[in-house]
Amino acid sequence: MSEAQATPIRPKSEGREPIVVYDRVVKRFGSFTALNGVVAQVFPGEVVCLIGPSGSGKSTLLRCTNKLETIDEGAVIFDGMPLPAEESLARVVRRRMGMVFQSFELFPHMTAIGNVMSGPMTVLGTSAGQAREEGMALLAKVGLEHKAESYPGELSGGQQQRVAIARALAMKPEVMLFDEPTSALDPETVGEVLAVMRKLAEEGMTMVVVTHEMSFANRVGDWVIVFDHGRVVEEGPPGQIFGNPIEKRTQDFLSHIGWSM
Amino acid sequence: MTFDWSVLWASLPALLDGARTTVLLTVLTMAVSIPGGILIMLLRVAPNRTLNAIGTVYVEVARNIPLILLAFWVYYVLPLLLDLRLPPFWAGLLSLSLIISAYNAETFRAGVNSIRRGQSDAALALGMSRAQVMRKIILPQAGRRVLPILANTWVSLFKDTSLVSVIGVHELAFTALQIRTTTFRVLEILTAMAVIYWAMGYPQAKLVDWLHRKYGVVE
Amino acid sequence: MEFDFGPVASNWRYLALGLGMTMSLSLLTAIAATLFGTALALLRVYGPQPLKPAIAFYVDSIRAMPVLVVLVWTYFAFPLIAGLSLPPFWAALVALSLHASAYMSEIARAGITSVRSGQMRAGLALGMSRAAVIRRIILPQATVRILPSYGSMLAIIVKDSAVASVIAVPEYLYRSTTISAQTYRPIEVFTVAIVLYFLIIFPLTRGVDLIYRRVAKLGRS
Repeated sequence: MSEAQATPIRPKSEGREPIVVYDRVVKRFGSFTALNGVVAQVFPGEVVCLIGPSGSGKSTLLRCTNKLETIDEGAVIFDGMPLPAEESLARVVRRRMGMVFQSFELFPHMTAIGNVMSGPMTVLGTSAGQAREEGMALLAKVGLEHKAESYPGELSGGQQQRVAIARALAMKPEVMLFDEPTSALDPETVGEVLAVMRKLAEEGMTMVVVTHEMSFANRVGDWVIVFDHGRVVEEGPPGQIFGNPIEKRTQDFLSHIGWSM
Repeated sequence: MTFDWSVLWASLPALLDGARTTVLLTVLTMAVSIPGGILIMLLRVAPNRTLNAIGTVYVEVARNIPLILLAFWVYYVLPLLLDLRLPPFWAGLLSLSLIISAYNAETFRAGVNSIRRGQSDAALALGMSRAQVMRKIILPQAGRRVLPILANTWVSLFKDTSLVSVIGVHELAFTALQIRTTTFRVLEILTAMAVIYWAMGYPQAKLVDWLHRKYGVVE
Repeated sequence: MEFDFGPVASNWRYLALGLGMTMSLSLLTAIAATLFGTALALLRVYGPQPLKPAIAFYVDSIRAMPVLVVLVWTYFAFPLIAGLSLPPFWAALVALSLHASAYMSEIARAGITSVRSGQMRAGLALGMSRAAVIRRIILPQATVRILPSYGSMLAIIVKDSAVASVIAVPEYLYRSTTISAQTYRPIEVFTVAIVLYFLIIFPLTRGVDLIYRRVAKLGRS
């Protein structure tokens, strides 16, 4: 057992450079320290799941990844370069990452296909025809090509979130960031969103997923990072975290949410 | 006491001419005050503290003084300060626009603030610039919330145009008061004026109520 | 360009009387509009059926007309029908109150109808009379809720009081125009007027907002 504790196996890291590195990241909101020196890595093709109690800092870390939040100390390094301080350069990095939000955040004044086309047309200057063609392919991929002309208000939560995933994919991102993508959903629509995410993982997409769906993290995740009070408590392959966690706080968290090993 | 309503037929063309100026003044003021309001709102939300203070002081002063006083100020004081002569119509248009722009700025600011932060996060995450987020995502959504309040302002503006009669703008109220002094048919002319205002204002007020029912946000 | 505030300073007593007139006209209008407007709102919500559309029509009509129109009609035209003469101050008070009470009734009605109907049922279930529920349960909550709009209405009343200058009520704006004409110093006279009106109106709305923030929780149900 002690060997397994020393160096857990991380298959997709073999001979590769990480695409995202969090180097002693500190983030404060006033007197509250949300992230307290987080060190972590994401390798290309990996599905990294961030789990932990509410308010432990995992969503904040995700928002620091594409600079929706600025950090106070340390560095977030993407593809070998620290995130640029200047807004116009940060925008170039944001294009290379897709983000999916807990509350979907589809643009309510645009149809489903309009939402998917909005990124490429506004940011990349893609023509309407090409953006529509690619957008329809993406809607087909998430199983919603028949809802292309519907407005977000006419779609169920699960459908909205699948459109949001298609919208993020339309920018052809290298990394997908998921911020509790199923937390705001009715139980019966959680599955359809997780299925889309699983398909994406199987295609080799690099994904960072903040989630409360432990079975998803267990089955789909390549690497699981446990947060508490703005720090990484423990990280490892799902087999370790969910089968044989080392840290007491990981065990407490898992038993608190009713996970049985 | 006798009333002579026939005077109305003689005065009607002049009154309607005044009413046309009232409508023109309303339309022109709103046409100026929508871009004007956006400009002042941008000052108020600017990160630069000086611009911000200018915007805030402007809005607070404009909303907390009587329009009729501003009309006097623009007509009698501004020409002395700037050394130019403003005809009454333009002075009236300017005073109305100065005030309505301030109200519109507050309306737009409230509309923009009512859009959840997640919406701009989502647009930023797609790589849009702040200007694009404002233009493509925030403003179109804010528009729906702003419309009923803008309609309210429109009706107030329509009525407030009567106040610039004090500096001699030949709109409906001024025209009526003038005819009154030349014909001495006070009751008939002033009643006709009130009826014309009512006939134009009442449907507008009803339309605004309808807009509120259709688009109004219940807080 | 040189400024000379001498004409303003040497006429301060005359102007101060105007300020007093502006304040008293505003205050009396506010009291009359609050009482009459609330009565209209109560009649419109709880009154007998045939009265409701009549009140609605009256309120909407007043809202559709400029305050200046109501004012000049009351001062110049109404005495011809009624066969009596109204001094300018009283004509202004009547006209401004009529105008403001229409707004007040809309504000009060919005406040009353925003209190959930469950509150009425709960009051009746306790054995209170309808009137008692309105007085002791509904109106107190509505009063708190309408405070922000009430503050804006007070500001509008002070602003509209300046319109009374049109019928020569010797309030502050009227006296300013007189002095400006006599001394040829419109810059100083009207700029001082802008500052003074701002100093009255701005604290008024802010003050009401401040009170509202302290008591807002009492209006929630």
